[in-house]
Amino acid sequence: MKAFEVVAARDARHAVALLAEHTPTAKVKVIAGGTDLLADLKFASASHAPDVVVDISRAEDLRTIAVTGGGLSIGALVTHTEIMASPAIREMFPALVDAAHTIGAVQTRNLGTLGGNLVTAVPSVDSGPTLVALDAQVTVLGPGGERRMPLAEFFVGPRRTALKPDELLVEILIPTENLGKPACFLKFGLRKGQALALVNVAASFWVDAKTQTFRAPRVALGAVAPKVIHATSAEAYLEGRAIAPEAMAEAGRLAVGDAKPISDFRASAEYRKHLIAVLTRRALEGAYDVWQKKQSPAGRAR
Amino acid sequence: MVTVTVNVNGEPRTASVPPETTLLRLLREQFNLTGAKLGCDVGDCGACTVMVDGKSVNSCLMLAGQADGRDVLTIEGLATLERLHPLQEAFEQLGSLQCGFCGPGILMSAKALLDENPDPSEQDIRDALAGNLCRCTGYIKMIEAIQGVARADGARPAPKSA
Amino acid sequence: MDKKSAVIEKQARLQEVEALLKAPAAAPLAPLPREVLVPEARQQTPAVRQRATRPDGRLHGLGQTKYIDDYYLPGMLYAKIKRAGIASARILRIDTSEALKMPGVMAVITGKDVPCNSFGPSLKDQPVLADERVFHAGDGVAAVAAVTEQIAAEALEKITVEYEPIRPVLDPLESLQLETPGLHAPNPNIYGHKVIRKGDVEKGFAQSYRIFEGSYRTQMVEHVPLEPHASVATWDANGRVTIYSTLGRITLGRADISRTIGVPMSRVRVIATVVGGNFGGKNEITTEPVLALLAKKTGRPVKCTFTRPEEFLASTTRHPLVMDYKTGVTKEGKILARQIRLVLDGGAYCSWSETTLGKACILSAGPYQIDNLYAEAFVVYTNKTMTGAMRGFGAPQVCFAYESQMDDMAKALGIDPLQIRLTNALREGSLSPTSQKLHSVVVRETLLQAAQRFGWNEDGGGNGAQS
Ligand SMILES: Cc1cc2nc3c(=O)[nH]c(=O)nc-3n(C[C@H](O)[C@H](O)[C@H](O)COP(=O)(O)OP(=O)(O)OC[C@H]3O[C@@H](n4cnc5c(N)ncnc54)[C@H](O)[C@@H]3O)c2cc1C
Repeated sequence: MKAFEVVAARDARHAVALLAEHTPTAKVKVIAGGTDLLADLKFASASHAPDVVVDISRAEDLRTIAVTGGGLSIGALVTHTEIMASPAIREMFPALVDAAHTIGAVQTRNLGTLGGNLVTAVPSVDSGPTLVALDAQVTVLGPGGERRMPLAEFFVGPRRTALKPDELLVEILIPTENLGKPACFLKFGLRKGQALALVNVAASFWVDAKTQTFRAPRVALGAVAPKVIHATSAEAYLEGRAIAPEAMAEAGRLAVGDAKPISDFRASAEYRKHLIAVLTRRALEGAYDVWQKKQSPAGRAR
Repeated sequence: MVTVTVNVNGEPRTASVPPETTLLRLLREQFNLTGAKLGCDVGDCGACTVMVDGKSVNSCLMLAGQADGRDVLTIEGLATLERLHPLQEAFEQLGSLQCGFCGPGILMSAKALLDENPDPSEQDIRDALAGNLCRCTGYIKMIEAIQGVARADGARPAPKSA
Repeated sequence: MDKKSAVIEKQARLQEVEALLKAPAAAPLAPLPREVLVPEARQQTPAVRQRATRPDGRLHGLGQTKYIDDYYLPGMLYAKIKRAGIASARILRIDTSEALKMPGVMAVITGKDVPCNSFGPSLKDQPVLADERVFHAGDGVAAVAAVTEQIAAEALEKITVEYEPIRPVLDPLESLQLETPGLHAPNPNIYGHKVIRKGDVEKGFAQSYRIFEGSYRTQMVEHVPLEPHASVATWDANGRVTIYSTLGRITLGRADISRTIGVPMSRVRVIATVVGGNFGGKNEITTEPVLALLAKKTGRPVKCTFTRPEEFLASTTRHPLVMDYKTGVTKEGKILARQIRLVLDGGAYCSWSETTLGKACILSAGPYQIDNLYAEAFVVYTNKTMTGAMRGFGAPQVCFAYESQMDDMAKALGIDPLQIRLTNALREGSLSPTSQKLHSVVVRETLLQAAQRFGWNEDGGGNGAQS
């Protein structure tokens, strides 16, 4: 690894100040858990390496999980292990726990942060689909203050986000109206443990209890386009439709048309298309299971 | 250069290293603790696993400076002069390691698991070892050893053998 | 006793002693017919079902086992190898001057500095550092010794190499064509060939109810030992070099080191350290001669540990195979004839290809009784990472082919996949493809027991047409 300087930030504001100080004159990178950054730099050529690294791993203010006026707020520095252990997240969004659980292995999840995962923005990013399906927003802090945008727009392309070099991702927010919205995340990799997704899918919807129809359905797909995408035709098809296995299967077929999977050494585009249809259907079934469990007295008691 | 002080295996140790030094290299090259191994240097193989503040991490993916002021436990800190750690004893008795290169990392992952969950199911154990690659053994004897230690701790009666 | 008789007595005694010391030139021939000791099947060893513990198990668990990368010799330097990064090219110029100027860089060498730039366990076709020609992307073209690994790695980026690209041959079937230019011209691309002939395949095909033809391919596989290749070289004042290495075959390695660095074998000492996984991938030297030369040039011990990418790029791998099978069967699935062509993708250098070629060919018929067999195997050069020894030496690849074809045939004939195997399985006393009489053959018993244990017949698995 090429030599670089490290400056440690006490908190988010300090980190932004350090970014402002160094970005005009040097190539700067933020380090949180380091599981993406250091792995990237190990065998990178010297020209690719940063001169200064801003270490935010001790910025405790970025490490909170809390329900606020705006919704469920998750700090950028929260690790995947912390997401899995959070009582609030386990209660409201088991899908987020499942998604965190599929990321790397214990050691990587202990270091790797939600913020780092989203900023790296690989198309297969495993935290992406569930959060996109829950209409999550992200808060970004820069020299000019904060700005907020939907996560779906924060992702721009493969390994590209809307973040500017002097900005910090500080918070991920699931809006109040979606708290407890039934959701399900499914990932298909070549192995169960420590494998990147060939396809990952998240589905989420409210159930109109009276009519038993889909309300505000969302289907998000990963690893099948340059960034995490909404399966918009599947979503449009489901809106207001009666909940039934055939509808879920049809949504799966429609989702295939929303994606542009590529062929690579992990899988062919054809195989990925097959996976999209199957996983979308299963994710919809899974989200419906979550809803049903919440309705049963036993489910509520837990 | 940055000056790093870590509490390694219960003893404070200090070194001055270039800022890009990883925790793994700090342990191996400055403190002569060569138990943690460099297998892939990118977090895939788990041979470098150590515990930082009670959690297992890939020491190849952590900067030495990020460990400053923290507690680090390495394989060298498991046994005392009088006695092996129960996991070490079980691994030895069951012949759980073959070439041994992955062993220190596996044992640290196992220790981290049992610290948090004294009564793991087989699936829990497999999940805990997912980040440690072994090319010799096929993992079975490791899983048996970890199960044996968990049971010996009185967590639960031995399950019926398969 | 007079002088003369004393001498005679002494001579007689000497002759006695000499006769005792002198081993016979050849062992006396055993009387024919030979008595062959045949072990009972499944009773050969009491080890089965026993716990195997290891004497080194305790140190492994304590993290105290020392592998090469755990060694440090005083004053030691670190070496890095510049990899070509291009599959096939002529090297026009290598400029190492900028690297040499870097503080901390103690020496740089290229292929020109290697006294005898070729080695290999069978054919000596592999350069220590490529000098005129690059044969695959993982070829080393220069090596640096520096005071830290980091400086050595940065120095590699300062070395510039000018290449004239040559169209690479990547497909083994292309390499097989006679008109394809030889990678190692004037030597042909086909560098190993084997034929096994038994019975008369044409007759067998003529009698067959159906003939199945299939082509099967396997991919390249890396051993991925958890411990990457590593070695340390150090010279003593008497001009002897000591090399600590993760080498599985030190005597063979010693010969190659001696040859390449031009130092008599008596002055080369190879110390095999604990190996962190071999699987066939550490059966020959890699950078040992480079380290010996760098250590000699700098007067300091030099270590090199492969990075994980180098492990994939620059160490041996398992041969990919292209396997064409033509098999004639009766209506009941009994194999009457089988014709096989294997093409082994040998990569850039021979390594252990000859062993792999032989074993793949001998085992290509499968554990089946086939009276009419023709198996032919070729190994060819391609501009890819070299292939060599790996667990099984070709056996897993051919197994994939013959078992795949067994399933294809069972399905087409509507026969249970288990049954077609039982019908054809080798039996006690069967002859192998090379006419070796086989003893303790338990293929059928093994299949039946396995089928019973995993419930082959219980959940419809026995219905071959569906599986
Ligand atoms: C062995 C292994 C397996 C993995 N498996 C998976 C997997 O299955 N699924 C998956 O999705 N990922 C996987 N990853 C990737 C990685 O672990 C995750 O993306 C992780 O969450 C990254 O977080 P981090 O804190 O380690 O990021 P870092 O490496 O610290 O940072 C990553 C990038 O984000 C930037 N950054 C980090 N935080 C911020 C912030 N707050 N503001 C602005 N920029 C920031 C950094 O500058 C850097 O560019 C794996 C990684 C490894 C090593």
